[in-house]
Amino acid sequence: MLIGSIIVIIAVIGIIVSTSGCTSNTTSNSASNSSSDATHNAASNSTSASSTTPASDELVVNVYSHTGEPKAGFDPLLGWGCGHVNFEPLIQSTLFKSADDGSIINDLATGYYVSPEGKTWTVNIRDDVKFRDGEKLTAKDVAFTFNTAIGSNSELDMSNLENAKVINDTAVEFKLKEPQSSFIWRLRYLGIVPEHAYKKETYGSNPVGSGPYKLIQWDKGQQAIFKFNEDYYGKKPFFKKITMLFLDKETAFAAAKSEDVDIAEIDINHANQTIDGYNLMALPAARAFGVSFPMQYNTGNKSLKGDPIGNNVTADMAIRKALNMGIDRKAILEGVLYGKGDVEYTGVDQRAFGNPEAKINDSNLEEAKKMLENAGWKDNDGDGIREKNGTKAEFILYYSAADQTRQALSVTVSEQAKKLGIKIDLVGTNWDEIYANQYSSAVLYAYSSVDTYNLYLQYHSKEADDRYMNPGLYNNPVVDGYLETALRSADQDQATKYWQLAAYDGNTGYGPAGDATWLWLVTMDYLYTVDETLDIGTPQKNAGSDILGNIYEWKRTDATSSI
Amino acid sequence: MSTAVVTVNKGVFRGLNLRQKTFLIIGFTSLLLLTIVISSVFLGDESLQTNFGSKNLNPSPEHPFGTDWMGRDMFIRTLKGLGLSILIGAFASTISSILAIILGLLSSTGKMADSIISWLVDLFLSIPHLLLIIIISIGFGGGATGIIVGVALTHWTSLTRVVRAEIKQLKTQEYIHISINLGKSKLWIATKHILPHLIPQIFLGTILMFPHAILHEASATFLGFGLSPHEPAIGIILSESMKYLSAGYWWLAFFPGLSLLIVVLAFDMIGDNLGKIMDPRSAQE
Repeated sequence: MLIGSIIVIIAVIGIIVSTSGCTSNTTSNSASNSSSDATHNAASNSTSASSTTPASDELVVNVYSHTGEPKAGFDPLLGWGCGHVNFEPLIQSTLFKSADDGSIINDLATGYYVSPEGKTWTVNIRDDVKFRDGEKLTAKDVAFTFNTAIGSNSELDMSNLENAKVINDTAVEFKLKEPQSSFIWRLRYLGIVPEHAYKKETYGSNPVGSGPYKLIQWDKGQQAIFKFNEDYYGKKPFFKKITMLFLDKETAFAAAKSEDVDIAEIDINHANQTIDGYNLMALPAARAFGVSFPMQYNTGNKSLKGDPIGNNVTADMAIRKALNMGIDRKAILEGVLYGKGDVEYTGVDQRAFGNPEAKINDSNLEEAKKMLENAGWKDNDGDGIREKNGTKAEFILYYSAADQTRQALSVTVSEQAKKLGIKIDLVGTNWDEIYANQYSSAVLYAYSSVDTYNLYLQYHSKEADDRYMNPGLYNNPVVDGYLETALRSADQDQATKYWQLAAYDGNTGYGPAGDATWLWLVTMDYLYTVDETLDIGTPQKNAGSDILGNIYEWKRTDATSSI
Repeated sequence: MSTAVVTVNKGVFRGLNLRQKTFLIIGFTSLLLLTIVISSVFLGDESLQTNFGSKNLNPSPEHPFGTDWMGRDMFIRTLKGLGLSILIGAFASTISSILAIILGLLSSTGKMADSIISWLVDLFLSIPHLLLIIIISIGFGGGATGIIVGVALTHWTSLTRVVRAEIKQLKTQEYIHISINLGKSKLWIATKHILPHLIPQIFLGTILMFPHAILHEASATFLGFGLSPHEPAIGIILSESMKYLSAGYWWLAFFPGLSLLIVVLAFDMIGDNLGKIMDPRSAQE
């Protein structure tokens, strides 16, 4: 029975694919050239005037597939818009927002002031804002939101906030335990919820906010429908209704093919596919992919959860530096990402707080080999893998099995490392297993936070807890010092200077020129297939994941008048 | 090679008698399977290098099965995947058979043991195979070992039943009663009278377990259990190919699927034809 049914399934699949294959052979032939810019405008000479939605001011998007449907609903205190990933919450408004160049500008706030010792932040807010239900938004609501956030167990880290206090209707005072320059990012992304209408259990599915849209329908597992909020105080968006689908990228691509969606995030492997009436858009997001190295030697220590700590191969600086030097990042970028992104050296190259001094020249096999030889890593038994004092230059690299990009990056790194005489064994698995091995094996991680506090967490020494920040347990007192100074600076420019010093100060640092704590590889753009009648304005710099951040600028153009 | 298998059945070798034909079929299919296993073992990791310059190519003389999204040759990937499947199948079938023999023999030692084993068989049969494989493989820590143990521990049931029934039937035979009356020891009866009858059954059962084991291994890896997605397992190849259906890369699913089909059919054929030869009633036809 079982054999029979499986055979039937295989046969059916075979028939389906062979028929669909006949029609699309031409696409794949042209695609195999994989030229990165040919795809940009490939669809633009199509004359079909596709109208996806019945009314032109209605928009169908599938853009949150990287975070998926918010499990806890549209509640900022439970991760909607901020926490693990930061993005425009639509329903709620935030104190600050980002300008096109990425700098911070006022939204609800009218200005802020930080006391000289950096522990007291005072934010003034607008007087003319109403929640969807007609109630006025006051400093009370802001204080309530932040005070509630302190206790929430979401990924939103508010551990440094002592409390938020109402001064008057339009002013709030935040008391911090320690000075923290990165606190501005908390103010930037946390949506303000109303004190009178907030209940942890129900708010997520029935959110009340003061943002440009209100939620009118949520079909769990399928879609959420937003309508324009007439009371919105800011710039009025063109689109009056947004339908947000929660499809995976495969299905979203198919939906775009059948013109069911205006804009959809697509998988990198569809980068060379063209859809009539749609343009491919690659938006930089400063989303860096890199390999973490366990920085400590294996001395039998265990983490708080009992997982092993340390790796005698990656703890050797020569191995880490040689990999950073010998890897051909450009080839990885072109090969795996179709050139949709950039090479990456420090994980934060694209950010203002990245340090160009910390970069090194890569794709230098000879130099890398010499470094390994000098450090005592030699291949004496002729098996192509170097040894030192009986230890083979071999370690395991874990990657998330669910993500094909991470898989391809891992395979490529492993292949390139072999040329250096370093054997990297791959294990693709789930995150539970990855976290259990992160202190003793390399892991392929992605890092995309604009919040500088994450930079602090990523490189500041820590105990071996079960969090994913600083998986290598990097511990350098000099770098710790820079990070602490940067975090405690009251002045953002001053902070930026110290964030940069932490990467490389001419002598040491977390970057490849210093301790080479990671093997950063590439930065990946977010890819969207966009209906050609849709004009999304100027997206904010490096906000490829937060594509709805400038929804106010989006409009629909007449298809015939577009290029 | 595969065409040869099919044409034999259609009777091109009409000049040969059934016995010769049967041997021919067994020979060809065994050769095919051996070739797959041996070549997959001897093909090193180097043969599966990525080549991003030749992503998603159509089948061509250079790449008979096309290439995948990392530019790897699908023919070699499929070959390695099938080799792995057959090895896992072989291992799992052997373990299952050993289990089946032990349990089958145990069940003949007494009423109590018999009911316990029957209950055990019923218990295992009442849980869907695939579910059980997944549970067991997770219980054993996942990975390749998990899958092998999972497949091995779920396929013994039917063979156990066959062995048990066969022994029950044999025990009622007159020559056994005579042996008992003549004072022969239990061991003597078991080895001289019962075991010779069981061997063909067990042998056939093992061979016919192969396709089951292979398909279950493929299903489990298809669902994402066990092996890492960069490894060449047939289930992984097939599930990966699903992602490219909308892009029209038909060869990613078609050839590996067809190959799996052929391998499974080949085992089935070997089993059927061996059965014909070993069964004294049909061996002389």
